[in-house]
Amino acid sequence: MSDDAPANEDVAAAESPRPSDVDRSTTVVARTVVRVVVPIILVTAISLLLQGHNLPGGGFIGGVLTATAFVLVYVIFGLDYLQATILDRRDEVDEGMVSVYRRLFALGLALAAGSGLAPLLFDLPFLTQAVLFVEHLPLYGELEVASALAFDLGVYFTVVGALLTIIAEVGAE
Amino acid sequence: MPPTTDVVLAVVFLPFVAAAVTPLVFRLLGERTAYYAAAVALACFALVSKLYFAGAHGSVAVEWIPSLGVSLAFYVDGLALLVAFLASGVGVLILTYSGGYMHGEPGQAKYYASLLAFMGSMLGVALAADLVALFVFWELTSLSSFLLIGHYTGEEASKYAARKSMLITVSGGLFMLVGFLVLVWASGQALPETTYRIPVLIEHADAVRTALGDAGLLVPVLLLLALGAGTKSAQVPFHIWLPNAMEAPTPVSAFLHSATMVKAGVYLVGRFRPLFLPPEAPILGEWTTLFAVLGLLTMTVAAVLAVSATDIKELLAYSTASHLGLIVAGFGFANAYGAEAGAFHILNHASFKAALFLVAGIVAHEAGTRDIAKLGGLRKHLPVTAVVAVVASLSMAGVPPFNGFYSKELLFEATYYAAEEMGGVGWLFPVVAVFGSVFTFLYSIKFASLFFGDEPDGLGHVHRPPVTMLVPPAVLGVLVLAISGQPNAFIEGLVGGVYGSVVPGDAHSFSVHLPTELSPYFVMSLVTMALGAVLFPFYDRIHAGVRTLLSGPVRANWWYDNAVDGATALSKRVTPLVQNGLLRTYVIWALAAVCALALGGYAALGVSLPPLTELAVTTPILLVLLVAVVGAFAVGIAPSHVAGVLTLSIVGFMVAIFYILADAPDLALTQLVVETLVLVIFLLVLDRLPAFYGRPRAAVAVRDAALSLVVGVTVFVTVLVSTASNPNKALAQFLAERAGVPSEHGSLIVDYGGGGNVVNVILVDFRGFDTLGEISVVAMAAIAVLTLIRMRSRGETQ
Repeated sequence: MSDDAPANEDVAAAESPRPSDVDRSTTVVARTVVRVVVPIILVTAISLLLQGHNLPGGGFIGGVLTATAFVLVYVIFGLDYLQATILDRRDEVDEGMVSVYRRLFALGLALAAGSGLAPLLFDLPFLTQAVLFVEHLPLYGELEVASALAFDLGVYFTVVGALLTIIAEVGAE
Repeated sequence: MPPTTDVVLAVVFLPFVAAAVTPLVFRLLGERTAYYAAAVALACFALVSKLYFAGAHGSVAVEWIPSLGVSLAFYVDGLALLVAFLASGVGVLILTYSGGYMHGEPGQAKYYASLLAFMGSMLGVALAADLVALFVFWELTSLSSFLLIGHYTGEEASKYAARKSMLITVSGGLFMLVGFLVLVWASGQALPETTYRIPVLIEHADAVRTALGDAGLLVPVLLLLALGAGTKSAQVPFHIWLPNAMEAPTPVSAFLHSATMVKAGVYLVGRFRPLFLPPEAPILGEWTTLFAVLGLLTMTVAAVLAVSATDIKELLAYSTASHLGLIVAGFGFANAYGAEAGAFHILNHASFKAALFLVAGIVAHEAGTRDIAKLGGLRKHLPVTAVVAVVASLSMAGVPPFNGFYSKELLFEATYYAAEEMGGVGWLFPVVAVFGSVFTFLYSIKFASLFFGDEPDGLGHVHRPPVTMLVPPAVLGVLVLAISGQPNAFIEGLVGGVYGSVVPGDAHSFSVHLPTELSPYFVMSLVTMALGAVLFPFYDRIHAGVRTLLSGPVRANWWYDNAVDGATALSKRVTPLVQNGLLRTYVIWALAAVCALALGGYAALGVSLPPLTELAVTTPILLVLLVAVVGAFAVGIAPSHVAGVLTLSIVGFMVAIFYILADAPDLALTQLVVETLVLVIFLLVLDRLPAFYGRPRAAVAVRDAALSLVVGVTVFVTVLVSTASNPNKALAQFLAERAGVPSEHGSLIVDYGGGGNVVNVILVDFRGFDTLGEISVVAMAAIAVLTLIRMRSRGETQ
């Protein structure tokens, strides 16, 4: 943080803009593509998370993919954009998004550990997972509810929070 | 009857709980925390008494991790009760005494918390029935001793002493742990199932001993246990930490370093005596050779060193080591008298030595010096203290009719009968015992003489001690008199049970009497006292003579200091080589070490490589891998960081495709997203890397190439070896059966994974614990980055 900003200029000019000066270094094409692609990536990530129990996917993959979507936004529009425009957090100048990310991985860890503790209430060992099949639902017919989803969600939040913390911190350099 | 689980648990854990809330109590009560702590000790004492009067004998266990067969087991018998009585009873006195002694001293909250935690650990050592629990409590006593010895954190001598005791006792404990593990292994050989329980081991002593003997491990186990006991109980040559430990406040010395913690070592010897010393043991078996010799050597050497001491606490410290030697020697002898001597002397030594330490504390506190040369004639100023000191000193000297006489007489008896049976060189036992006892007699009388004669010049005004400091030693003095007056009552009530614990087979008691005839061992006592009385006028000359002999390699301290200094110097020289501030050097050492360990491990186990013919690959996989290899070479010759990173990602994506082709979609997905993310992170930090593109020296290039080759070989071999050990498809079978949704499932599945994706079911269900650990690591990495980057500018400014 003690160094000067212009050092950014010479490397990968197309991909790493100066956050304050978006228009100068990213093209319209890149920005348009990102606008279209990011929602798709997020939906894909969430579907990977949800289907992970029975098909390829899971909390870790979903988490990394979500982080990638955020990184795209960050690379093309800058961290300030994400912070100011989408989440409307202009006031927290010092900590910025990192405080959100930090809370996110704390939440994730708590969720994962908590879902492990829950079976103790039913006198089952730590981290026992169960599957419940709910029959005769309208539209779905049969729905499989896996307690592992809560654990996976914890993994997801931890990975997203931790990766974004690292990227935001490293990127702010 | 078996002991009550609640009571035993309360005895052990009440002090720990009390220690945890001590800082809060200290805020409320200030210096009166001493009486809170004493009350806790009194509660423990009452609980131990309750066990005693209920006639408790046997094991209790609390299930801990039933799926791993781990439980917290405690065992109550005579030996356990005696040590527990000492820990809690002396604890009450010491904590009361601390109220006066620690007046105005710094760090009292820490002091009382450590003392209480120590008391809990010591009670744990006394009552543990499980080898692992015994080890944990054992090391906890070392830890609290470390904190208490280093109480005056600002003083160099305190720090040195704390480090020394920690290094010696903890490393001894680690040797003991190895011994325990060998014992556990032997139990697996000898018994239907492996056990960690000491009572079970002792019950099947013959089988365990045979198993150890067959494997040639009997002597190694004895040596390992002796290292643990010897370091803890300050046996020669590990006695050197005890005199330094006197840097601790005197109540600590009285409690830990005379009455209790150092007794842990002799406790261990007593505890394992019935395991290694069968009734039909030869007169000079492995056990006797080791422990009788170790004990007698310590008894003599430490007694001689005590005579050379110039400081009253140093004198008492060496004397403690000497008396612990007496107990170890007693337990070492294969005859009944030895066991009786050891069992009785644990109680006697605790009574008179704790009293003497408290007396020394009063002297140091009120006279302002601990220098023997500067003390004398204290009787006029400290009359009550003087009476206690004389009674305790005479007991320590082994003068009849005080209690120390009885246990020393029993040891003489043991050495005499052992010598009579062995003949020849065996007569050295009684001779050495008498020789050491003469010195014991000398320093005991010297200590008592501080209270008589003229006051030396320069001894300032001696204050009267406060009542809280006077009552505890007086109580101990009365205890000495009580045991001296009615030894058989104490033996019947308490020591007989200890004797029962340290001999194999059924417990039975014994009795002692004042000698009525001139038995050989009574003659030994008379010779000791006569020689001592003759030599006492020459005390100063003996003192000076011993001091001149102690120089250079004769002193165990010389070895210790040189070893520690040498190790420090060595690490100072090695550190700049391994950690020179360049990341690449760190990587070289880390990778080389990992490869050396892995390959060394395979070589040591004689792992054979599976035949390579099974490694059939299809053409698409071959093509993908070829592209990856080309990419890898391209990384090496990339002209810039950007080109290097981009070519590196070629390798990554090729590996992802390889996973797809090898039917591992989850791996492929993970690899793809991680690769993408890593690429972006790389691009973000690229401009921070130095443009290090000078031409490397040939030697460096060759070294790096060799290292990368070794790393590649290690990974290749590891993959081959680990995949070759597929246990006949049993694993796949297990997962296919358990992970998926059973065809005839009910509406709720709890036992099985119940998911179609076996990878994910493994992650969240079968190995959920691992995943929890992994995401904790991810979170920790994020916190680490946060700390390193964000907080580096506002870190400590020194």
